[in-house]
Amino acid sequence: MKPLLLTNERSGAISGAMKPATLPILSASLAVLAGCVTVKAPDKPIEINLNVNIRQEVIYTLKQDANALITDNPELFPK
Amino acid sequence: MMTRKSKLITTIAVGLVLAAGVAGIAVAQSGGLVSAALADGAVGEQADGYLGIKGGASEGLRAEVDAINIKRRAAYTQLATQKGATVKEVAAAIGCQTLTSRVGEGRAYQLLDGIWRVKGAGPIALPAYCNS
Repeated sequence: MKPLLLTNERSGAISGAMKPATLPILSASLAVLAGCVTVKAPDKPIEINLNVNIRQEVIYTLKQDANALITDNPELFPK
Repeated sequence: MMTRKSKLITTIAVGLVLAAGVAGIAVAQSGGLVSAALADGAVGEQADGYLGIKGGASEGLRAEVDAINIKRRAAYTQLATQKGATVKEVAAAIGCQTLTSRVGEGRAYQLLDGIWRVKGAGPIALPAYCNS
């Protein structure tokens, strides 16, 4: 009876001391994993939006020149 | 009094004017088929800034349309280098203008989807980059 009681108390003491230490480590590693997944996601849409914006601006600045080109070269723009 | 250099410049200038005149006459003589085809809806303006042929066309008409498009491309290239833009951007800007103001009711036109449409009473639904 005596040795059994002793080992029980020991194991109880060890597991009591480990629990608070392992919990934060586990949750920290989970957070790192979750962070990795979200970083990878946005890549393509950003580039497409940029291209459209630049293009629209350029075409806006070319508007007057385009009109002048048309009126200056009527033979190239038959009606 | 004319120096040798200024004489040379005058000669070149006269030559250029003559060449331009001849080219102008050539275009005026050959432009008839395109004008008629535009009225018929066999040829129309495209959103990409060039003329297009809807369906089949005679060899003569095709040659005229090609000739106009080659000259357009040359003009677009010149403007693009002046403005630091690409030829495609200049051509697209031209397309916005031709579709806005040079396609009359009943005339054919083509948007970026490549489908030929006939202009109705309302304005043409332009590509998004035209509106600003």
